[in-house]
Amino acid sequence: MAEFILEAEAVEYSYPDGTQALRKIDMAVTKGQKVAILGSNGAGKSTLFLHLNGILRPAGGKIRYKGRDVLYTAAGLRELRTKVGIVFQDPDSQLFSASVWQEISFGPLNLGLEKREVKERVLKAMAETEIEDLADKPTHMLSFGQKKRVAIADILAMTPKVIIFDEPTAWLDPRHAREFMQLLDRLAATGRTIIISTHDVDVAYAWADNILIMNHGQVVASGVPTEVFRHTDQIKAADLALPWLVEMHGELMRRGWLKPDAPLPRSKEDLFIQQHIVSGIR
Amino acid sequence: MFDLDTYAYTNRWIKIHPLEKFVFALATMLVCLISPSVVVVWAVLLLMTVASTKGAGTPVWHFLRFMMIPFSFILTGVLTIAFSVSHDPGGFLFGFTFGSITVGASQANLMKAGFILFKSLGAVSCLYFLSLTTPVLEVISVLRKLKLPSLFLELMGLVYRFIFVLMDTTALIRMSQSSRLGYASAKNTFRSLSQLISSLFVRSFHRAGELAIALTARNYTGEIRTLEKEYPVSKRNYAVILGIELGLLLLNFT
Ligand SMILES: Nc1ncnc2c1ncn2[C@@H]1O[C@H](COP(=O)(O)OP(=O)(O)OP(=O)(O)O)[C@@H](O)[C@H]1O
Ligand SMILES: [Mg+2]
Repeated sequence: MAEFILEAEAVEYSYPDGTQALRKIDMAVTKGQKVAILGSNGAGKSTLFLHLNGILRPAGGKIRYKGRDVLYTAAGLRELRTKVGIVFQDPDSQLFSASVWQEISFGPLNLGLEKREVKERVLKAMAETEIEDLADKPTHMLSFGQKKRVAIADILAMTPKVIIFDEPTAWLDPRHAREFMQLLDRLAATGRTIIISTHDVDVAYAWADNILIMNHGQVVASGVPTEVFRHTDQIKAADLALPWLVEMHGELMRRGWLKPDAPLPRSKEDLFIQQHIVSGIR
Repeated sequence: MFDLDTYAYTNRWIKIHPLEKFVFALATMLVCLISPSVVVVWAVLLLMTVASTKGAGTPVWHFLRFMMIPFSFILTGVLTIAFSVSHDPGGFLFGFTFGSITVGASQANLMKAGFILFKSLGAVSCLYFLSLTTPVLEVISVLRKLKLPSLFLELMGLVYRFIFVLMDTTALIRMSQSSRLGYASAKNTFRSLSQLISSLFVRSFHRAGELAIALTARNYTGEIRTLEKEYPVSKRNYAVILGIELGLLLLNFT
């Protein structure tokens, strides 16, 4: 059996004003996977994330890290927050310092590391997010995409095992969104577990190893991308669209332009190859 | 003010240790304030102008424009020293007589006013030099070395950072209001402004909450500690500063 690094079991949570944000959420994240959580506005994605890092404590149910229940003590939370980092959606809310260098050093210093070690980690995090040339720039002179990278470096410098990104591509233009997803791929390639939330079904479909679909505080479907989008009714009920590749595949199939057993394509190229096979060009 | 901030990050002396710039600015200001000779005050003005423009690279024209901002305040201040009211118009160089009283300026008072004017400008030029060459966070790090309370310094840092965030927010709200004719008439302007201010308040609270969450997620436990940038310490610079200050003091005896 695969090893689960992070699990939520029947997690429930209501905000003080009575909004039931999470209703018995179950999820299990396998170590080293790329997971996308899909859901429309208000589905409860951000609330779930705050639970995974111990900011919010579930009213019912449990959060587990590496199979062990999270302890809600100072030491237990410290441990969890060292292992699970969150990159927040709005970098202007996350970045507290006017200096990029000071900003990134905050997290590792909180881990009680030596100055020399902190310095090394800051440099490494800046190299990984390709922002070395921003070290001397003040935060308020950066572009949105640059701030976003600084926000990631913030978390990388703490070397967590799991990194959570709340809506990483929101407000980015297509080119920067693509570069951003490549950055996430590079981070995943180093063995880190990556969880993102998004409204963008195409991004989730092409990028993720595993997808969770949320609606009204519940998980309505989960599984590998090529499986999860077969639950067309749940997808529609969750106010989401089908990825265009899935839609295209269905349409081509209906017209008999694809072989009846052609699997769901994961990329444009996959689909073209299937087409070629049928049309006999190759 | 925001030009000032830009120069602080882009000037030619950015790589010099902030403590050296701090010491230079404050020591010169002190010399300027305690010197009885107007020659010293002129020398300080000239020195700071040259250091900020020729040295750090602020365009002369901009430096003079910055100096004009406090100039008008100082001028109105010293006018009250230059002019006095008297029944006897004899002692005044020039004056205006209204019935039995005369408002006028005597030579001694004019000299005194001029001296204070230059002295104030000299002191101000020292502070401008510091603001134009040293980013706010570096000034804060100097103050930290001088053992000011860390809570106070953390607040300074956060306020500085969020001034810019709040400015962006203000610009966005204003734009969206203007696009709906929010500032088309006096009445609209009044209403839009009150709404702008109240929504800025609400958003600031919201931001504060989000910031607290984001800091907690990075193991914040009540104290903001960060790595400060390291600068090479130059003994030569300190020697130059000492030489300049001694020279300025000696000018008092000429
Ligand atoms: N601080 C809060 N107080 C009260 N209710 C809240 C609070 N934060 C979120 N909620 C409510 O909880 C529900 C879930 O919100 P959440 O922010 O987790 O959704 P989300 O999936 O992240 O949505 P989005 O895609 O818009 O970011 C929503 O109904 C929201 O209105
Ligand atoms: Mg959200």
